[in-house]
Amino acid sequence: MSRSTKFMIAILLGAVAGLFYGWVVNPVEYVDIAPESLRVDYKTDYVLMIGEAYQVDHDLGLAVRRLAVLGSSAPTDIVANALSYALQHEYASQDLSLLQLLGESLLTWNPNMEVPTP
Amino acid sequence: MKQDRRGSWYLLTGAVLGVAIGLFYSWVISPVEYVDAPPYALRNDFKDKYRALVAAAYLYSNDLLRAEDRLAQLKDDNTAQSLAMQAQRALAEGRPEGEVRALGILAMALAGGVTPITPGVSTTQAIMDTPSNEAGTITPLPVEPIISPNVSPQPSLTQTEMVNTQLPSNTVLPTRTATSTPTPGAPFLMDDTTLICNPDQPQPLIQVVVQDAARQPMPSIELVVTWTGGEDHFFTGLKPELGLGYADFLMTPGVVYSLSLAEAGQSVDQITAAECIADDESRYWGSWMLTFIQP
Repeated sequence: MSRSTKFMIAILLGAVAGLFYGWVVNPVEYVDIAPESLRVDYKTDYVLMIGEAYQVDHDLGLAVRRLAVLGSSAPTDIVANALSYALQHEYASQDLSLLQLLGESLLTWNPNMEVPTP
Repeated sequence: MKQDRRGSWYLLTGAVLGVAIGLFYSWVISPVEYVDAPPYALRNDFKDKYRALVAAAYLYSNDLLRAEDRLAQLKDDNTAQSLAMQAQRALAEGRPEGEVRALGILAMALAGGVTPITPGVSTTQAIMDTPSNEAGTITPLPVEPIISPNVSPQPSLTQTEMVNTQLPSNTVLPTRTATSTPTPGAPFLMDDTTLICNPDQPQPLIQVVVQDAARQPMPSIELVVTWTGGEDHFFTGLKPELGLGYADFLMTPGVVYSLSLAEAGQSVDQITAAECIADDESRYWGSWMLTFIQP
């Protein structure tokens, strides 16, 4: 076996060792993440909570601001995704209704009507 | 024929180079994307938002089990305490009243294990430091009434048995008499005033317990203490281990204080540090325990 071949094999083994260390021995710890990175079921529950809270405060602007932490998508899309997941996983009909109501309310939301909060 | 004298160092060089390439690829070219993360990995400020949202949702559903399950995802050591502390922070930071209220209600519900239907109804009982005198070491002497509020408690309310039955048998040396001043239309009334003599807690404190009409502790109640040339504000619930409706303020001996609730309530004037005497004639500072209730 030529020296260059051995050299390449050494590089390969080093890379494998590095990946093994990074993925198995000392894997990444999730800290200080944003809600955007939550698992889809947690994210759906987050949207559901926003829907529940909206039924209490009826503040659509606040609901939109809360949804904004879940990503840069349009609020209606975020709710639609949550509703889709909830339907697939057979959430309770009351929860589905809350998501539906939130989604429908967002259709009437006009960002120009928002009063900036200090 | 040439002899290769370079040895095997090239293999180590290759391995190091390989690790470097691997790390460069994983950190720079294709860094880790945080997806599918659980709520406990959220940044602290997002955790606060999450708790506030759970509390807001709880106001709608009154589903304590669901709220507990959601909060459990944050893996806090003490969920109720975390909520109470966040309520305090929110109050201090001037967060919306609804958010503070929701956090307080959920904290109380979690601490008490029941679901309140209306805001302000809680289920926990305030816990106070109790005197811990060893039997036989202090001569039992009756504690004389120290404070004579000008306003009688509401007939429907009973005295705070917890406080009165735990009084130590020490002689009390009041240096001044506190007098309560009624405020017309006040939502809170002073129910009980007691000098607590606890040798284990020799600092002169104004201890306050605020309760609702159901005699349940009320967190996040702002209290104002004033003295000549000074004023300070403090809140109930900052020491959840002593009760969500509990707050205290350290007095300076010789200074006369007035205490009132920030929202309209009965004020208590002429509060000053009072001494207690133990059986061995040693003196130490007692603490005033003031109980406010919502009639």
